[in-house]
Amino acid sequence: MNFFFAVLHQTRRNLLLTWRTQILSLMTIALSVLIFSFFYLVYTNALQAGKQFSDDLRLIVYLDEEPDPTLQEQYRYKILKFDQVEKITFVSSAQAYDRFKEQLAEDRDVLADIPKNFLPASIEVYPVQSLNSLSRIKRFSDYLQTLPGVLKVQYGREWVERFYSFIQLLRIVVILSGTLLILTTTFMMAHSIRLTLLTRQKELEILRLVGATNNYIRLPFFLEGALLGLLGSAAGMTALYMLFNWITLHFAGSTMLGMFSFNFFPMPVIAMIIGLAIMLCAGGSFTSTRKILSL
Amino acid sequence: MATQENEQQCMVDLTRVSKTYPPNVQALTDVSLQVHCGKILFLTGMSGAGKTTLLRLICGIEKPSKGFVEVAGQDLSKISKAKIQHLRRHIGVVYQNFKLLPDRTVAQNIALSMEVDYRSGIFIRKQTRDLLAQLHLEDKYNTKAYKLSRGEQQRVAIARAVANKPDLILADEPTGNLDAETTQLVMDLFLRCNSSGTTLLVATHDSSIYNRPDSKIVKLANGRFIPRDPSTAGAPMPSEHQLSAGGKK
Repeated sequence: MNFFFAVLHQTRRNLLLTWRTQILSLMTIALSVLIFSFFYLVYTNALQAGKQFSDDLRLIVYLDEEPDPTLQEQYRYKILKFDQVEKITFVSSAQAYDRFKEQLAEDRDVLADIPKNFLPASIEVYPVQSLNSLSRIKRFSDYLQTLPGVLKVQYGREWVERFYSFIQLLRIVVILSGTLLILTTTFMMAHSIRLTLLTRQKELEILRLVGATNNYIRLPFFLEGALLGLLGSAAGMTALYMLFNWITLHFAGSTMLGMFSFNFFPMPVIAMIIGLAIMLCAGGSFTSTRKILSL
Repeated sequence: MATQENEQQCMVDLTRVSKTYPPNVQALTDVSLQVHCGKILFLTGMSGAGKTTLLRLICGIEKPSKGFVEVAGQDLSKISKAKIQHLRRHIGVVYQNFKLLPDRTVAQNIALSMEVDYRSGIFIRKQTRDLLAQLHLEDKYNTKAYKLSRGEQQRVAIARAVANKPDLILADEPTGNLDAETTQLVMDLFLRCNSSGTTLLVATHDSSIYNRPDSKIVKLANGRFIPRDPSTAGAPMPSEHQLSAGGKK
């Protein structure tokens, strides 16, 4: 039997001897991973939804008079000077009238006695499609308001601000739950391994007396931590997947959730979360054995 | 030739070793001892004479307050912890208090010393059964250690010490709980180990095991070697505090 198999053998024995404690640790790890990954999933999907919204996001700048081509160029220059934009469209008074008429469809008769230039000319500004631009929208809007000849700037301000606050809140929740995951997993693992070590002091002493090396004693605990991290995080992710399926099955069709496409984590993200849990658990066990065994 | 060279090598070499426990308990004072490879040496003396301390120094559990301890040519004060651990795999120790794991089976207790040396499962099982047969404990293979009598526990501790075919066996009162017949079984086992080249250092009160014409015996009292009565069988006394078990067995 070589060192590797001896260590595996010892790990198996450790797990069998302390399976009750291990199950508790496993459940705690699974729960921590579930909480963190749940909020992270909501966050990533909210970002995705935000992207869907931002595709349609535009600022409408109402002008007091129809801009001639020279003025249009000046407006374009000043807008681009402030921020990058996807597209700038000038809508004349007549074009606005036609659009409105089209929207009214069968009720277009109401426009019969109204002059065709009753709607102001406007500029439609499509900002760059990234969520970060949402935070800049307000500043952009304030800037556009200062341009000469501008009557009003409209962009669904309330919605954008609320959405941005929601994303900020989610970001905080993700950071907090991530911290919770790190603390819980590391402390739980360190504590559980410490308890195991303390209850097995006599065995460790005998192992040393018969010539067991530090690695022979320590590696099984390290592997034990890594294995618990793997199983706990896999269980947490499986629970989240089942929860995700249940939510999409029961709520996606009928409510507001149906407006967006919700996705589960891609494989690299799943692997990253599981890898992180493994690292934390193995790290917790490593520090604990180092402290208790004074290695 | 190789065997002759081996016999000339010193398995245990203590040079002017003293050991003081805090606050000021002098367990050993200026003790020198040489035990050559493949020899048997009996350490005798009253309780508290320093026999256990001497054995603990040799297997690296304790460090000397003064002097040097060399085992298999390696100065224990100069080698790393990892090397001491490696060295311990080649030293079988029978502790006075057995140091068994009560919740493990007899077989698991014996297997410990072989597992840390990465022996194969087949070897471990065979060796364990073989040793249990030699010590008349065949039926205790799967018995938990706490269910054994003191004498049986002592035999399991002995089996664990010899299981890994060590180069050196240190036995602290190995027959303290055994009857005459079982004592003979244990001594036969030790002698078999010795005949295959293992050096033996036995601390004992039991005169029945060292009162043989060919025994090398040293006596400790108050942490010092004392000269033995020359009429006692096989007492090597080169000088005060300086002993060697390097002669013919």
